[in-house]
Amino acid sequence: MDAVVEFFAWLWAFWPLRVVVWTLVVTIGVLLAVAYLTYAERKVMSAMQRRQGPMTVGPFGLLQPVADGVKLFAKEMVIPAQADKTLFLLAPMGLFVLALAAWAAIPFDKGWVLANLNVGVLYVLAISSMAVYGVVIAGWASGSRYAFLGGLRSAAQMVSYEVSMGLIIVCVVLCTGSLNLTEIVEAPRPAWMQLLLFPMLVVFLISILAETNRAPFDLPEGESEITGGFMVEYGSMAFALFFLAEYANMILMSAMTTTLFLGGWLPPFGIGALAVVPGIFWFVAKTAAILFFFIWARASLPRFRYDQLMRLGWKVFLPFTLVWVVVTAGAVLAFGGGV
Amino acid sequence: MTPADLAFFVLAAVLLASALGVVFTRNPVHAVLLLVLTFFNAAGVFILLGAEFLAMLLIIVYVGAVMVLFLFVVMMLRVDPAKMRAQGRAALPLGLLVAGVLMAEMAAVALSFAALPGAASPAFALPEGVTDARALGRVLYTDFVYPFQVAGLILLIAMVGAIALTQRARPDIKRQSVADQTARRPGDAMEIVKVTPRTGA
Amino acid sequence: MADPALLATYLPVLILLLIAGGMAVWMIGFSLVLAPHRPDPAKTSAYECGFPAFEGTRGRFDVRFYLVTLLFILFDLEIAFLFPWAVALRDIGAFGFWSMAVFLAVLTIGFAYEWARGALEWE
Repeated sequence: MDAVVEFFAWLWAFWPLRVVVWTLVVTIGVLLAVAYLTYAERKVMSAMQRRQGPMTVGPFGLLQPVADGVKLFAKEMVIPAQADKTLFLLAPMGLFVLALAAWAAIPFDKGWVLANLNVGVLYVLAISSMAVYGVVIAGWASGSRYAFLGGLRSAAQMVSYEVSMGLIIVCVVLCTGSLNLTEIVEAPRPAWMQLLLFPMLVVFLISILAETNRAPFDLPEGESEITGGFMVEYGSMAFALFFLAEYANMILMSAMTTTLFLGGWLPPFGIGALAVVPGIFWFVAKTAAILFFFIWARASLPRFRYDQLMRLGWKVFLPFTLVWVVVTAGAVLAFGGGV
Repeated sequence: MTPADLAFFVLAAVLLASALGVVFTRNPVHAVLLLVLTFFNAAGVFILLGAEFLAMLLIIVYVGAVMVLFLFVVMMLRVDPAKMRAQGRAALPLGLLVAGVLMAEMAAVALSFAALPGAASPAFALPEGVTDARALGRVLYTDFVYPFQVAGLILLIAMVGAIALTQRARPDIKRQSVADQTARRPGDAMEIVKVTPRTGA
Repeated sequence: MADPALLATYLPVLILLLIAGGMAVWMIGFSLVLAPHRPDPAKTSAYECGFPAFEGTRGRFDVRFYLVTLLFILFDLEIAFLFPWAVALRDIGAFGFWSMAVFLAVLTIGFAYEWARGALEWE
């Protein structure tokens, strides 16, 4: 018992302070990345549409995210008369907290992880499964038809694709034999494993588009039918929180793809010579590549219809990933042997 | 008192407070959200006990899935407080009876568990260096294969039941059939007619 | 109580939750205090196409939303069973594999039934 007391005394002396500092670094890093992801999105989309994009604020429009932030901050927060005021304000705050909380388990480089959880994958899955509440509550608390419908649609969509995401993660766990994200990155991946996981990577990429409500699955905010969905009554900082949460989730899901499938901070294609470059660089580069895919999909694909979205989730992805779990398990037993 | 003890008391206090809130709040949506908070704190207590995997499952299954259904059901209710109070008073004797029976049953189960030999010591100690998910996986599918298969059958029954309760045939609605669409050839929909001048089609 | 070293891995999670929550409160709070706040009946009414809403807003909706969440719960439970199995598959070998194969086969019957009854159809 004395040893425990001593251990905690040592812990309180300086370890939590270090954690607070690192947590602040990660939080601010993610928020900066979000700000410049909005800029990158506008620049990439404008390049794809032969426009210049933001150019006025700062050199090449580089200060545009700052200007947007200041403007949103100065706007009046309109709270609808028929809204449930507490929940109306809690919903965007909750979504924002969840979007940041999941980052605790993401390993940025070898040993660079805030919380090296034994159940890291499940932690991220649990946090992202709670995001449904933010959306539904925002829709319900607004007390507006469009918002309510948008919230419901969004919830049904998110849960539908969570099933296939869960099954894909089971495939990865089968190959690596661990729920810890650092161990998942470091687990050896022979060629047969990579071949087996490649179809899952494709399905995962499409599922994260649906899970984060991004185009072509952005039905919850489909402007042409429900005028912005669950966010229709929101403005000012409350809207900004939704916006930050959505983009932080995009980056999070890209980071998860990197961690689960692309070898995290390890140099690409297993080229040992590239390991001279720090791992964080590879991690950021891989994540950025997937974010580019997000933007590319938005610029190229028209929106799905709701029945098509549901059919893809339940009738294509679910059976396919379910069969693939069994195939992967068989392959692991046949080739993997007893480890 | 170690920080872990302190964390336990905070979690337990919030858990009890939010559980009481579930019972006493007038707004059913607030009740569901307070229940979510209750589960969240219960997951925290699980972590304090070292059951990380179960804590995450509690959040994924109960918070992420079951409570979403509750929320959907409750959101559809249009509650008139005055009417609800009158109905509640009428149903009070029956409610008390049901609650009493449930309490007695739960007490009976708890007492019979406490009377089992070896109840005071944990049933399984985790082997050194093995996570709880792995330890669970080692026994659940081999030593406990029958309960596991029964769980599968229960899930099957639940699936069939869910459809029996909510599914209804809607013949009046047009459905998209992808196979029909892609199998359609120009010849199915149109024919090319050579029209001779001044005679018409 | 569990091993303190294990609990210590969760401390950053707690701190991150506190910091993120504090930031959210700070942002909303400052906006409420500093930004102008002049509500009027037209501004705070629900968004519609220029006329007052015809009926209450938190109305009934399609039973399909229930069906989707019900099915989601069932598949989520199935996934919950798959995780420990995936972690321990190398320890439990062929018997564990076939044990799960039977479990999945039973659930596939349910899935086929849903498909045949058209429960996966959205109309």
